[in-house]
Amino acid sequence: MSHDGHHSVVIPAPGPEFQAHTVAHHFDTPVQEFQSAKLGFWLFLATEILLFGGLFAAYFYFHEVYPETFRLGGQQLSWKLGALNTSVLLLSSWTMAMGVRCAQTSQKSKLLMYCGLTVLGAAIFMVIKFIEYKAKNDHGLVVFSELFSPYNEATGQLAWFKDYHNAMVDKAGVPLPHGHLFFAIYLTMTAIHGLHVVIGAGLILWVMKGAAKGRFHAGYYLPVDLVGLYWHLVDLIWIFLFPLLYLVP
Amino acid sequence: MGHHHVSSSAMFFNVLVALLILTGITVGTSRIDFGAANMMIAMAIASVKASLVMAFFMHLKWDTAINKIIFLSSFLFLSLLFIFTFADHATRRMDTQWHVTKAPVDKQWVHPSQLVGK
Repeated sequence: MSHDGHHSVVIPAPGPEFQAHTVAHHFDTPVQEFQSAKLGFWLFLATEILLFGGLFAAYFYFHEVYPETFRLGGQQLSWKLGALNTSVLLLSSWTMAMGVRCAQTSQKSKLLMYCGLTVLGAAIFMVIKFIEYKAKNDHGLVVFSELFSPYNEATGQLAWFKDYHNAMVDKAGVPLPHGHLFFAIYLTMTAIHGLHVVIGAGLILWVMKGAAKGRFHAGYYLPVDLVGLYWHLVDLIWIFLFPLLYLVP
Repeated sequence: MGHHHVSSSAMFFNVLVALLILTGITVGTSRIDFGAANMMIAMAIASVKASLVMAFFMHLKWDTAINKIIFLSSFLFLSLLFIFTFADHATRRMDTQWHVTKAPVDKQWVHPSQLVGK
């Protein structure tokens, strides 16, 4: 008997290498616990769609107003690195899906392996992202050291936009309107996405810690499932970011 | 627990292969000039990829109706944002050549049908 007079529901461990799960006392059944958490997490993911949705609206709006600026801006990015990162993220989404499956089928060591591979994917993604940011910095398209400098009245551009190699000019050499705008949107969207990659990798490491202790098995794998959903959302966002930023239509 | 759907490894692998092939198609079609249709094609392929991730990797296909409604409704609200943003843009006069002309945008409102060029 717990303090509020209810029996605690315990899901037994399927084997000696696993731990039993005690259902939180404010839930009557394991199913109720599972469904409540899933409902809340889908609500959270809906707000994530709206967060990125605002940025996508900004992208589509300015793409419509300054199509040439966006087309030329997209050509400054390496589509090969973008495609490579897309493949890395898709592969990591697959390893995560396999990880959740291993949790559902009580395969402890394979769960750890697939989670480890997913974190590896996240690390490769961020390394490639860093290489890309470095190139943008070196070409003066996003000068990171001056990211918070004020708007430059003389050039009509943001101060962190230097364009050392005059990449963002038309055939007559006239700077395209709002050349900085494409890179402002590129940086904002990829940086917020990158933050999600880092947070996602941290959450998967946390799942691995629990998995190593045998917390997750066929009877209870809720945290693995939810972290998996978060990781797939990161993939979902990138599926749209890749063609819009690297292959500007 | 009977309400949990465990997908087969083969299914996950097939979805991965489909996603990688669609990524190749995205790059391929971006190389061909279809004019304004390039955006529609890129977004159509991305939507198919996103649907595969949602339905299979995220298990939404086997999830409860309420969870499907909650997540998919976010796209409905997103479409409202897009519709009103572009309704505004379509009915607004903008001088996108300001950096060349340095001319102020007309203060007087002109009906969109009266404009020679936006």
